[in-house]
Amino acid sequence: MTRLNGAAAEKDFLARVVEESGQNLTACIQCGKCSGGCPIASAEVGGPRRLIARIQYGQKRQALEDPTWWYCVACGTCMTRCPVEINMYRVATALCEIAEREGVAPSEPDIHLFEELFVKSVERHGRANELRVVAAFNLRTRHPFKDLGSGLTLMRKGAISPGEMLKGSRTDERTTRLFARLQRKGTEDGR
Amino acid sequence: MKVSYYPGCSLESTGKAYDRSARAVCGALGVEVQEVKEWVCCGSSAGLKTSRVKSTALAGMNLALLEKEEPSDVVAPCPFCFRRLASAQQEMREDPKLKAEVQEAIEAELGDRLEIHNLVDFLRVKIGLGPIAARIEKPLIGLKVVPYYGCFMVKPRQVTRCDDAENPVSMDEILATLGAEVLDWDFKTECCGAGLSLSKTEKVVELSGRIVREAIFRGADAIVVACQLCQANLDMRQRQAARQEGKSYALPIIYFTELMGLAFGLAPEALGLNHHLVDPLALLKNKGLIG
Repeated sequence: MTRLNGAAAEKDFLARVVEESGQNLTACIQCGKCSGGCPIASAEVGGPRRLIARIQYGQKRQALEDPTWWYCVACGTCMTRCPVEINMYRVATALCEIAEREGVAPSEPDIHLFEELFVKSVERHGRANELRVVAAFNLRTRHPFKDLGSGLTLMRKGAISPGEMLKGSRTDERTTRLFARLQRKGTEDGR
Repeated sequence: MKVSYYPGCSLESTGKAYDRSARAVCGALGVEVQEVKEWVCCGSSAGLKTSRVKSTALAGMNLALLEKEEPSDVVAPCPFCFRRLASAQQEMREDPKLKAEVQEAIEAELGDRLEIHNLVDFLRVKIGLGPIAARIEKPLIGLKVVPYYGCFMVKPRQVTRCDDAENPVSMDEILATLGAEVLDWDFKTECCGAGLSLSKTEKVVELSGRIVREAIFRGADAIVVACQLCQANLDMRQRQAARQEGKSYALPIIYFTELMGLAFGLAPEALGLNHHLVDPLALLKNKGLIG
């Protein structure tokens, strides 16, 4: 049980998430429509309503380690139904950036790994090479034969071809340069 | 009519059937589709999650490329690409600081003349049911379908500008025009599990499984989709979902563009109908819709 004492650090966290996400979390009335419609909400994962409560209360560590924002698929159901129109995938991005900056270990390493491999693929090649990302993920998580049966059927039907893996090895300077520039700027701004 | 076309990464890979059928259907309706040159990934859900400025800059880079093309109408068949491009445009309009940051990062100036469409609304609204009806050679009589919109094309309504994000009807209307029997159901915009397919497969089996189960319960011959990620999840994960329930499902998951092409008299192979895991060809033969 966390006791809230209204410390400056608690208020500061709420203010930071509000500012970085552009979402006015202080307007949340905890009605729970978001978690009611959320596809990933569960007893184990939690859901957006509880995550917002944690942020409102300044429970920084609990919020940054909350699996909800890792699981968030950005479906937009919560915002569509929210009486004060809070966009939770923007909140997920803000928490992901704060957690990264402060070195908080991902509470969902598999989701983190997939997203990291995907973004790396875009950074290097300009486009995501889906088959390579899938292969890299399955190798890194030590399930190299995951979904192999379906993959082979799709190959036999001509839906995907192993040649695609090679095609994506061309690098794209535009995205590599873009990412490098933003990285540099982020460091300068202390982000 | 000429439009800019932004296929996105999936349509070059796992979503080839969607790309092929989308281009074929546009062609049949007299829409000249011009793929934007040198496009890059929109960042997808992974980019969106991990960095606001990077994902907006990736979308911005594409918007800048699209502005170099002549058409101001942009069609993005992938619902995530559609929403990301439209959302970045909207966010930069509302936040000049973000726009300035993106322009500096991509080394290009951004105007604001583009109109980003998803493929369903483009065909339903910009082309219209009349021209679609006029093009039909083989109406889809006897085919019972449930339209599945998924999330990114409709939600959040503040971003997609969808009239009714809880009960969209544009795809229903297209399918009914084609002559199919469109069944009522409650799962039009329930999430399939989207990008968790690989990292949290059990969640996707659960979410996609309940969509397939409901469609079968309603008596559908097939689920009709407008998203390659929905297609992949529903097609690929239904077997695992069935196994968990001690059942066996084989419900075809078909792109709405494939059905349009079929009704227009185009060859099934030209539409990619032979590419799916659960084979729709047997069903379509059975219904007398292909020879």
